[in-house]
Amino acid sequence: MSEENTPTRRSFLKGGAIIAAPLAAVGLPAAALAADGRAEKLARLEAEKAIRELHQGWLRQVNSGNFAAAAQLYANGKCSAALNGVCAAVPDQAGEADALEFASDGKRASATYAFVVESETLIPADNTLAQMRHAQGEAMVRTSERRTLKADYVQTREDGWAIAKLDFAQA
Amino acid sequence: MPSRTPLPKPMHRLNYTKLTEAQISAALAPVAVAGPAHASPLSDEFVGQTVKIVTDNGPTLEYKFSTNSKLTVAENGAKAITAGYGALTLDHICFFTHLIPGTLRGYSVIIDRDSKVATVVEVWFGGFEDKREVMREIYQGYVATAGGTPPVKRNVANNRAEGKGWYWKQDNGWETIDYWSTVAYTHWVEVSRKAEMGFSAPADYIQISEDFYIYTRTECEFSGTFTIYVADLNRAKQIGLRLGFDWGDALDYYVFKGKGEWLGQTAQFEKFGDLKGGPIRPNPASTGQAGAVAPTAKGARAVYRPARTMEKLTREEVAKVPSSVFAGRLGSANGTGGMGVHALPASKFLIGKTFTLRFDGGTAVDYKVSKIDELQWRKNGGPWVTAIYQAYEPAPGVILFGHLLEGEPDRDGYSIVIDFDAGLVTCFNGYLNGPYFANEAQARTLVGVIEMEGITPPLYKRHQRTWDLVGREISWNYAPNLTSMHLYSTPSTTSWIIFTADGAGGLQWSGPGDFIKIRDELYFAYWLEEACNGTLGTIVVNLRTMHDAGIGYHCGKSGLSMSPVGALGRHAGKFDVKRFFDSKA
Repeated sequence: MSEENTPTRRSFLKGGAIIAAPLAAVGLPAAALAADGRAEKLARLEAEKAIRELHQGWLRQVNSGNFAAAAQLYANGKCSAALNGVCAAVPDQAGEADALEFASDGKRASATYAFVVESETLIPADNTLAQMRHAQGEAMVRTSERRTLKADYVQTREDGWAIAKLDFAQA
Repeated sequence: MPSRTPLPKPMHRLNYTKLTEAQISAALAPVAVAGPAHASPLSDEFVGQTVKIVTDNGPTLEYKFSTNSKLTVAENGAKAITAGYGALTLDHICFFTHLIPGTLRGYSVIIDRDSKVATVVEVWFGGFEDKREVMREIYQGYVATAGGTPPVKRNVANNRAEGKGWYWKQDNGWETIDYWSTVAYTHWVEVSRKAEMGFSAPADYIQISEDFYIYTRTECEFSGTFTIYVADLNRAKQIGLRLGFDWGDALDYYVFKGKGEWLGQTAQFEKFGDLKGGPIRPNPASTGQAGAVAPTAKGARAVYRPARTMEKLTREEVAKVPSSVFAGRLGSANGTGGMGVHALPASKFLIGKTFTLRFDGGTAVDYKVSKIDELQWRKNGGPWVTAIYQAYEPAPGVILFGHLLEGEPDRDGYSIVIDFDAGLVTCFNGYLNGPYFANEAQARTLVGVIEMEGITPPLYKRHQRTWDLVGREISWNYAPNLTSMHLYSTPSTTSWIIFTADGAGGLQWSGPGDFIKIRDELYFAYWLEEACNGTLGTIVVNLRTMHDAGIGYHCGKSGLSMSPVGALGRHAGKFDVKRFFDSKA
């Protein structure tokens, strides 16, 4: 998708604010802009709003541990793998600003989000010390680290969006 | 009264009788009526009194004390029952205990005479698959007084007692060292029996005040005997009870007074301000727990029961399992797998060297080292055998290396320290096919010299056993989230403590240990997981760098392994205990 993206990024979502940007800087087809810039701008804002709500809804499900409900927001079965071991994802207010890019057709988008991700890993019970940790109810080790979530979105209907790809990369 | 007779075997090797409830009931019947034995006079603190104790989430107990050894008790308003009892006092703390005739149950009650705050400890036999193991549940409450306002304060389980060590001598002459090691476990040494080893057991630590604590210990996986006492920390005095069946199945049911000594305090690793105490709740879904115990069930707590969960192989199976030397994790129960994250880098020191290790007693092993991970050895002039090895240099000129001795009938492994400057060598020789479980590692300690061009081996000098580490606690961080703390509780014991996620000491276990001084602040030590997982862990402890280098030797169903061990240490403190193990003591 990236090769079709316009290079300009637009911060959004963090704090719920959509930052205004020059229309020409927004990644919509130039022909469409020429035809009716206001309509396209409105469509773009509505798409941003829809993706923001999609992202916030996904975040609520993840942080409440309802991964099945989060999966309802996916366009395919591969997205769930990104959450393996993840038990919480909290927006990193000290991280890079969130960014969203639309593909040239306006039907796909990519976003990056800064997160502090808490994940749990099973301690292998292959030595006595680890077995004793298991016995005292601490088989999992929880770690917290800064990650960048790279998310791809795809428009599924006229006004609907779904998550097409998720990847928590090292920040 | 407890026997001073040395145990016929170490405590973890005794075959305790599987007493039935009928046998236990028969033994309890007379003492439930007569009350506990005692060496000191019983207190008449309660004689003629009626005392009603209300607990927050447990029973209400109404007592009438007719003499200093007879009471009636009504549980939760039921019909009163007559029982024998014994009471002792320690300043303003009053302790009494009794059984319920006709049952396998009883109570110990601690009352603060000044505040009217009370702790009730219910005990019973028959609650675990080993019926002889005493179970306990602890209730906090108060003494109800007519028209009086109940006190708000309660005694509380916290971590304030963690890390203390005590010597106690009871009024019957029984002496112990009690390490209050963690928030949920204790380690004790039976000084009266001149015990060489200490053992670990679940415990409770409940604070009454700055001065007074309640301590309990249940000797789970051993005799199952229960001990409870109130300790006055400043005056080093105690009053308490011992209840259970000893190794000869004789019933101990006596109250005691005692005097002692504070032996030291080691560091705690919880965050400042964190005072959380035990017990640690059981995890029935995990290794080390016997039976599906609900975390909130009466008497439930985490109890480490390794002899029940360890893999056990026959001699035939031991002979057949594959070997894996310094190959990383093998799978479940791979001894020291995963404990090598902080291992020292492999050393090239031995490459190209040819030498002979001549051990006292006659064994001589020749070596030719060709690579960083391959050598040839031959024992007593036998055939040369090629082996994978790993070497580390824990101090300049001191090399630790290890390899298996393929072809030996007991599948021996060597973990060897050579001091090339001194010409001295020590070998912890692990081997299998011991008398209890064939796959349980055994260990013998060999000392001797190295013969090599350029080295003049000493004729008489040898590495020596040392007590330098006795009483020390050192935490060892093997990997992120894998830390234990060693307590070298006797000259022959290594105990290990597992930390909780909050940094508190949690479960604890122990096994035989041996300690050889290599140089000043440099020691070669082992722990042996007897009746546990059967691992022999060998480490060179460098107290200057606080980094150990080690080699683990383990046999399980997945194979015979030799694995790297390495950890970063923190010195947690030292108890003043060496004097209790002197031969003249």
